[in-house]
Amino acid sequence: MTRYGMLIDTKNCIGCYACRTACQRQNGLDGDVDYIRYEERETGKFPHVRIEAVPLQCMHCEDAPCVGVCPTGASYVDDTGRVRVNEEKCIGCRYCMAACPYGVRVHNKATGAVEKCKFCTAEAFEGKAKTCSCVEACVTGCRVFGDLDDPDGELARAIVEKNALPIAGDRTKAKIFYVR
Amino acid sequence: MTYEPIWGSIIAWYLFLAGVGAGAFATSAFLSWRHPEATTMRKVGHIIAPIAVGIGLVLLMVDAEAGFQNPLRFFYLLGNFGSVMTWGVVFLGIFMVVAVAALVLDLLKRPVPGWLENVGAVLALCVAVYTGALLGVCNTYPLWNNALLPILFLVSALSTGAASVLCVSIVHHADEFNMVGVLKKFHFCLPIIELLLVASLLFITQSNSEAGYQSVMSLVAGEWAVWFWLGLVFIGLVGPTILETWLLFFTSEKFEKSRLAHWISFASDAGVLIGGFLLRYLVVIAAVPLPVATPLL
Amino acid sequence: MSHDITRRRFIQGGTGVAAAATLLGGGFLGFDAWRQAYADAPAKEVKQVHSLCNSCSSKCGFTATVEDGKVMTMIGDPEHPYCDGTLCARGYGYASIAYSEDRLTNPLKRTETGAFEAISWDDAIKEISEKITQIIDEDGPQALVLIQDPRPSGSYYTKRFMNALGSANVYTHGVSCNMSKVSGMTQAIGVGDFVSDVANAKMVMFLGRSYADGIRPGSLHDLQAARKKGARIVMVDPRYNASCLYADEWVPIKPGTDLALVLAMANVLVGRGTYNQEYVANNTVGFEDWAARLPEYTPEWAAEITGIPAETITRLAEEMWEAAPASSIEQGWRAAFGCSHKNSGETARALCLFNTLLGCWGAEGGAIFYPSASAGKLTDPRFAAPPAPKEKILGSAEYPLAAASMGVSTFALQQIAEGKVKGVIFYQSNCVGGYSNPKQLDEWVRQAELSVAIDVQMTETCKACQYVLPDTSYLERLEVPEFVGGRVPVVALRDRVLDKIHPETKPVDEIFAELGRACGVGQYFDFTVDELADAQLATVGLSLEQLQEEGIVAFPEKAYKPGKEITWKTPSGKIQFTSEACAKAGFTPSPTWIEPLVMPEEGQFRLVGGKQTIHTHTQTANIKPLISISKKYGLERPWINADVAATLGIEDGDEVEISSDAFTGRTKIKVTERIEPTSLYLPSHYGRMIPEQQLSYGVGLSQMDFVPFHLEPGYGGTMAQETVVTVKKVGA
Repeated sequence: MTRYGMLIDTKNCIGCYACRTACQRQNGLDGDVDYIRYEERETGKFPHVRIEAVPLQCMHCEDAPCVGVCPTGASYVDDTGRVRVNEEKCIGCRYCMAACPYGVRVHNKATGAVEKCKFCTAEAFEGKAKTCSCVEACVTGCRVFGDLDDPDGELARAIVEKNALPIAGDRTKAKIFYVR
Repeated sequence: MTYEPIWGSIIAWYLFLAGVGAGAFATSAFLSWRHPEATTMRKVGHIIAPIAVGIGLVLLMVDAEAGFQNPLRFFYLLGNFGSVMTWGVVFLGIFMVVAVAALVLDLLKRPVPGWLENVGAVLALCVAVYTGALLGVCNTYPLWNNALLPILFLVSALSTGAASVLCVSIVHHADEFNMVGVLKKFHFCLPIIELLLVASLLFITQSNSEAGYQSVMSLVAGEWAVWFWLGLVFIGLVGPTILETWLLFFTSEKFEKSRLAHWISFASDAGVLIGGFLLRYLVVIAAVPLPVATPLL
Repeated sequence: MSHDITRRRFIQGGTGVAAAATLLGGGFLGFDAWRQAYADAPAKEVKQVHSLCNSCSSKCGFTATVEDGKVMTMIGDPEHPYCDGTLCARGYGYASIAYSEDRLTNPLKRTETGAFEAISWDDAIKEISEKITQIIDEDGPQALVLIQDPRPSGSYYTKRFMNALGSANVYTHGVSCNMSKVSGMTQAIGVGDFVSDVANAKMVMFLGRSYADGIRPGSLHDLQAARKKGARIVMVDPRYNASCLYADEWVPIKPGTDLALVLAMANVLVGRGTYNQEYVANNTVGFEDWAARLPEYTPEWAAEITGIPAETITRLAEEMWEAAPASSIEQGWRAAFGCSHKNSGETARALCLFNTLLGCWGAEGGAIFYPSASAGKLTDPRFAAPPAPKEKILGSAEYPLAAASMGVSTFALQQIAEGKVKGVIFYQSNCVGGYSNPKQLDEWVRQAELSVAIDVQMTETCKACQYVLPDTSYLERLEVPEFVGGRVPVVALRDRVLDKIHPETKPVDEIFAELGRACGVGQYFDFTVDELADAQLATVGLSLEQLQEEGIVAFPEKAYKPGKEITWKTPSGKIQFTSEACAKAGFTPSPTWIEPLVMPEEGQFRLVGGKQTIHTHTQTANIKPLISISKKYGLERPWINADVAATLGIEDGDEVEISSDAFTGRTKIKVTERIEPTSLYLPSHYGRMIPEQQLSYGVGLSQMDFVPFHLEPGYGGTMAQETVVTVKKVGA
C-alpha cells in the first residue's frame, strides 16, 4: 500500500514563504488563498536569540476530524492515504474548517468550496510531471515527500534519522513529520 | 496572524431560527397538553415552526456558498452518517415534514392528531439539541466543545419558541394569552435556567485552555462585552426575568390581564428573542479555536 | 520559439461515453462522473517557455508552463547561476502582475485639474517628442534626464535613446541601492563587486547583508553548503536576520558604525603584524599611509561606537586571520553601506582593504571575481552606437566618486529646481516613491517642463509626472539577451511567456524606438528587439531561436579557474590603500573614521531599512500573493527591542507613533529580541501613498518619508539611514 507523507526540517527553514506562493501558482489559487500557513517562534533574550519558522498545511491525518464531520462525504481519505476534497460534492458549509485542529483548511471565496493542500507533489514524485509544489520549490530543501510504507524510501529513513515527529502529538495520526 | 471566524451572523440566524421553530412547535404541543382550550395559540406555534425553520434552512443554504452555486450538491447531504450535520439534516427534514403537515391540517381546519403533535415535539427537541451539538463536537473550539452547549441551546430554543408564540398572541389573541398560566410559568423559569447555564459555560470554558480563556474574555471583558452584558445578559435574560417576576408574583390578577401588562410581557418576550439571537451570535463569533490561541509550536 | 505540448487529462476517450451512460442511468454517482467528464473534456493548449524573472534585480531563469494563456507552473532553471534551480517567494508571486487589476492599460496625461485622462499613443509620442525637441533646442540635451531600474532591454534602449539625443544623463536606482558600496570598492580594487567564495570558505563575515532575506537562491545554497562544511559564519547586523539560521554568531551592531568595526579589526591585525605581509607588499600601494592612521582605532575605541565588546572585535579579527586566506568580509549590498550613511563609501573601501590584509583575493574560499561573458561587437550598421555624448553625466563634478554607470539621479532631480534640468523620463523606476524623501522628489518632478513615466502599475513617480505610458509586464515581452557572470557564465533570455494582455500597452523597445523616431533619431532604432537579440547572440555563436529553445546557454570555456592572476583596474594597477580621487573629494587618502551624520541620543532610534524575503523595494508591494502575506502576518510592522519597548510601555501589536523631523506616522509595532536597542527597523516595502495601488495603499509606513533629502558627500548615496526617530504609544 502507498501511504504518502512528508517531512519538514524546520531547522533548515528560513520562513521565506516560497512554498506558499509556489503552491498558489501550482494550484492556480488567488493570492490571498493559502494552503500553507506559518507559525514563528522567537526564543531567548537579546543578543542570544533563536527563531523557528514552521510551515503548516493539511497533515493528511489518518484519523481526520474533517472527514468525520463532512456531511456530504466531500472530504475523504483516498487509497494513497491523502485527505482529499471532492469539489463536486463540497457545499461549502465549512464544518471541516471548524473541526480541523491545525487550522489549515481555507474557504475559497470564488468557488465557495473548502480547499486545502492536496499533496499535489505526488504528481512529481510519481514522475508524471515537474511541478512547483512546496517540496520542489523550497529554496533550502526542507521538505522530503514520499511513501511512509516504503521502508527503504528516503522519507521513512529520514523520519527515523532526524527523529521527526508530528507537530502536535499523534492524536490525529498526522502524516507530516517535523524536525524541530 | 489575522483570524477570521469561520461562521458569522448568517449561521447565527440559522441556529436561532431553527431553535425558535423547534421551540414554537414544542410550545404548541405543550399547549395541547396543558391548555387544550388555547386553540389559536397552538395554531400560531404551528405557523411559526415551519416558517422559522424554513427561513433558517434557506439561510444555511445561502451560507454554504458552493452548494448555493450548485444546488444539486445538497443532495449529497445525507452522505455521511458519522457527521452531526447529516443527522441535523435528517432531523430538520423530518421535522419540517411534520410541522408542515400540522400546519396543513390546521389550515384545512382538521384536528392535528396527538401522535403527530408528540412526534413533532420529540423532533423539535432533537432539532434544538442538534443546533448545540453541531457546534459542540468541534473539539478545536473550547467554547463549543462541551456538554453544556446542547442543553443551553435546547433551553434557549424552548424559551424563544414560547416567546415567539406569546408575542403573536399578545397582539392577536389577548384572550387566550390570559388563559395560559402554566405555559407562562414554565416560560418564566427558562431564562433563569439559561442564565445558570451561560454562567457555568463561561466559568468552565475559561479554565480549560488558552483558547477557552480568550473566548470567554472577549465576551465578558473584550470585543463583545457590550453585546454580551447589555444584549444577552440584561435584555435577553435578566430583564425578562425581572419583568415576569413582577407580573407573575407582585401584581394583582386584574393588572396582569390589563393591556399594559400585556405590553410589558411583550417587551419581555421580545427581549428573550433578542437574547436568543445574541446567544447564538456571540457563541459563534467569539469562539477562538485552539490553533489560533495557542500556536502548535 | 516555444514548443507546444497538448495534454489531455482525459486518459481514455471511452470515459466520456461511460460517464454519459452512467448519467442516463441516473443517480448521484453518474452526475458526479458526468460533471468530471464535462469539466475536463476540452483539450488544453499547453506550452513551455523559458524566461527571466523580474521580481528583483537578479533576474533568475525559469521555465513556465502556460495553459490557455495562464502561467501554471514556474520551475527555476538549474543552469542559471543566480537561482540554481529554485526561485524565491517573489518569483512565483510576482508573475501575477500580468493579470493585476491595477495595471496601466492606456497612455495617460495629467490635466490641469491634476487628474489623469487617457490619450492615444500617437498623441502621447507626438507631445512628448515635441517637448523633448524644444528642451534640446533651448537648453541642450543635458537638460534631459532619464532614470531607470536596470533590466536587459531597459538598459540598452534608454541609454541608446538618450545618447542619440546627445545626453549623458542616464541614471539607475543606484543612489538608493548599492552605489556607495560599488563606488567605494572601485576606489580600492578597481571594480565595484566581488564575491565571497562562501561555499568553500573557512570563515565569512557578513556586514548587514542577509542571503536569506534579500534572496538570491544560488547564494543561499552556497551559505547552506558552507554551514554543512562547518565554515564559521558571522552575521554583523543590527537585527537578527533570517540568515542567522546558518550563522555561528550574531553580532548586533549599532547601524552606521560598520566602518569602526572594520578599522578596529584592521588595527588588531596590522598592530600585531598578523596580516599577509607578502601579499600586501606585492599587490598594493599606500599601505604605510593606512598603517600610520590605524593605531587610534583600537577595539576599545570601536566598542564605544559600535556597541560590540572589544574582546569580540579582537576575537573576530583573530579568527578571520586564522582562517585566511579562506576568509573574507562579504561585500554587502544595500543594507549597511550601499547607500545608508555618510560613511558608506568609505566603509566599502575599508572592507576591501581589510580583505587585502587577509590576502584572500582570488584564493579558494576567499574573495573572488567571477568571470562574465558578453556579446561581441555588432557589425550590422543598424546597431551602431550613437556618438558618445560630449558632456559627462550630470552630478559627476559634484559627486566625483559616484559610479558613472549609476549616477546620482536624485541630484539630477534637484537640478530641476535650479533650472538646469527641464525634462525627466522614468523607465520602470519608482524614484519618487523611494530614492530619497518622496515629498521633496515629488515637488521637483512636478516642476519639470516635461515629465514622463513608463511603468506597469501606477506609482508615486507616475503620479508626479505629466505623462504615464503603459509598459507590458515582463511576462509579455522579449528582451535583449542577459549575460550573467558566475562560476560558469551564461547567457539567458527574457521571452514572451504570455501574449500581450492589454492591447494598448507597449514593450520598452517599441516605446523608445517610437520616441526616437519622433525625436528625429530614428536611424538608431531601425530594427526589432528580435533582430537585435539575434545579432547579439550571433557574436557568441548562438541564435535567438536556439536560446529560446534552450533558455540558458553556458560558456564552460569561460568558467572560473581558481588561482588565476588578477588584473587590478585601478589607476596604479594595484590594490590601493590610498586613493587620489578620494583625497581630492575631501576624504583622507586611506579610509579613516567618519562619524554618521546623525546619532540617536537617549530616547531616539536610528530608523533602519532592509528587505523581507517576499518583497523588493516598493516594486512588489501591490502584488496580491505577496502583499497578502504581509497583511496576514503583520510584516509591515516596525521592530523595536523588547527591553526598550518595556521602558516605553509599548507592547507587541500596540499602535505607535513614529516621528522624525521630516515625518510622523502611525502603525502597529513588533516587539522583539531580534534587534539591538538603538535601532528601529522599518521594512522597506510599505507605506505606499497612492490609492491606485489598491492592495498596498495604506499598509504600513515608508522609511524614506522619515528621511530628509540629502546626499552622501563625494559618493552621492541617499543616506537612507541618516535619520533619528522617536516612538511613543498612541494614546499613552
